[in-house]
Parts: sequence; structure tokens; C-alpha cells
Amino acid sequence: MSGNEDEHMLDAAIKYEIRSMSDQRPPDGFLNRVMDKLEPKRPTVWVRLKLWLTGPRSMTFSPIQAIPVVTCALALLALGLMNMNYSISDEAEPQLSTVRFVLSDKSMSAHTVSVIGSFNSWKAERSVMWYNDVEKTWILEATLPPGDHEYMFLVNGDKLVADPLAPMTRDDGFGNKNSIMFVNGSNEQSL
Amino acid sequence: MDETYESEIIQKVLLGDPQPFEVLVREYQGPVYNLMLRSVKGSDVAADLAQEAFIRAYARLETFKVGRRFFPWLYSLAMNVARDHMRSVGRDFHVFMDNPSVMTRDVDRLDEQQAMEDRLDGDTLFRFVQSMAPKYREALILRYKHDLTMQEIANALDITVSGAKMRISRGLEMIRLQFKEVSNVR
Repeated sequence: MSGNEDEHMLDAAIKYEIRSMSDQRPPDGFLNRVMDKLEPKRPTVWVRLKLWLTGPRSMTFSPIQAIPVVTCALALLALGLMNMNYSISDEAEPQLSTVRFVLSDKSMSAHTVSVIGSFNSWKAERSVMWYNDVEKTWILEATLPPGDHEYMFLVNGDKLVADPLAPMTRDDGFGNKNSIMFVNGSNEQSL
Repeated sequence: MDETYESEIIQKVLLGDPQPFEVLVREYQGPVYNLMLRSVKGSDVAADLAQEAFIRAYARLETFKVGRRFFPWLYSLAMNVARDHMRSVGRDFHVFMDNPSVMTRDVDRLDEQQAMEDRLDGDTLFRFVQSMAPKYREALILRYKHDLTMQEIANALDITVSGAKMRISRGLEMIRLQFKEVSNVR
């Protein structure tokens, strides 16, 4: 078994053991001890207003009430469409661009490689790369909105590797540098 | 627990009914109590601190951003409770160690005789994780035991997302080093 496979199995064992770590139960009566200490809150007007604005509300209409409202809404909608010359703009939606992440690995020394970044909440399972035998590279294509996106490659589930092809990096504050992918409209660029 | 359900509970509590808060205590009492057990010696002290964490969360519930998951926010408060306690008894909760090659403190290191006797099994890892500096240990536990996202871990530990991923990466590296060391000794 190669060293890489050993390390991969060790990491898998480590994660499994952490997941399986047994918890101790809180002492009996803990829940009641906490609840006994709580006094009912007296919400201020501001808190009530905030909750009213942010909370879900149910609204009911009778057909008689709804008819004039729906008529007005349809009239406004028709007017709006006429002013737009029946053309529906797609400018409100960000233009997604297809980008390609590439990590060269001539001997396929890595077991798994993922792209983790600001666009996938740094979750490896959402962006797993595949190995191209011809190009000897790990590849992932993704669609991203315009803007700059920080990312790194996660090799074998634990080793963070910066993209050697990314000319632009940003310090993460912990002595490492994240790679930057700059996506500009319909064309993706790495600056 | 679904964040929509949690939001409904929190809204009821904020409007003056403390009873639904019981659902949140019941759901998260285990993780919070065990966080305290890892941080202090003695189950009584741990229970007191866990209780303090929930009471503090209740008192500050107005600052919770409805719609987010409650657990990372609660964990952040609980970590502060643990940190305050450690300071009050003259211990430093955060032991800063940046270089993975020197990240295992002497007191954390299993002594050589013990290491020789230990098998490379879950118990060994469990004890080592328990002895790790809290900043790495809690990041690993939140990620692999509680399945939090990097953003949620960052919120829970009050650090950046980059900081969260580095703590996890370095925490894993510490364990790897320790296990290789045990293997070599054997």
C-alpha cells in the first residue's frame, strides 16, 4: 500500500472516530434547572414590530374582495409589459459563467481532489473534481456569478493546496493564501 | 433541527412565552454539556456552565438573527462562557500554536511508555482529541461530529471562514503527526 493510501485511510479513520466520539448525557433534571431560571420576556414595541415584519403571516381574501385587486394587478402588469415593448430583460439575473478549475497531477498521486471556496461554503462534497487520464489533470467545471471568488484545492480530504495557475491570491490571515478566480460577465478570467 | 422551526420557536419566546425554549434546550443540551466537559474538570462545573450558556442565550435572544441556524450561535455563546470560566480560574482557553510541527504541547503528548502500550485505535484518538487545544479541537468536532459548514463553524468560533478551514486542516495535521509518532514508537 502506498504512502498516500496509508495517509488517506488514516484520515478517513480520524474523521470516523471523531464522528463516533460518544457524548455523555447531561445530568438528570438539567432541562428543568434551565427552564426554572427563565422569566417570560416582555417584548418592546420595536421587537414586536421587527417580528411582525420578519415573521410569516397568513392573509385571507374572499372572492368579492379579490376581484378588484386582481383586476388592478393585471392592468398594472399589462401596462408594464407595454412600456417594455414586450421585451423581457434578463439583466436582473446575474449572468453565470462557466469556469474551469484545473490541477495538474502527472502521476495521479492524489486520491481525491475537490475545489472548496467562497462559492460553495467551503464544502468539499459540493465540488469534487474528476481525473482526466489524457491531460493528467484534475478538472472541474462550474458555473459562477460575476465577481471574485476565493478558493483552494482540497487534496485527499485534508491537504489544502493553492492553485499554482492562479496569478492572484489573497492572504487568509493565517499565513496561507487563497487563490482568486475572477469572473467577469460571460467570460471567466483568472487575474 | 430545521431553522424554520427554530425561528418559530424563537419568535414565540421573544413574544413572552419561555416554554418553547425547552425544545431548543432538549435538542442542544448534549453538545453544550459535552463542550463544557471537554473544557473543565468535573461534571458539576460542566453542568453549571452549560446551564449558564443556555441562560445567556435566552437573555440575548433578541440579538439572534432569525432564519439562521440556532446551534452555531448557541455554541459561540457557550464557548464564551467556557472561556470566561477558564479566565476566572487563571487558565488560558486559547493556546496559540501555529506551526503544526510544534503544535502538540508537552502536556498533551502521550508519554512514550503509554504510547507504546496503546493500540492505534479509537480510544487513543479520543483521548488525544480531548487533550488538544480548544481552538483546533472544537473546529474538528463541529465539522466532523456535528456536520457544520465552514461558514457555520466560522460563526460558532467567531473567526473567518479561512480561519475555520485552517483550524480544521491544522487540527487534522496534529492528529496525523501524533498517530504517526505512535506508530513509529511501536
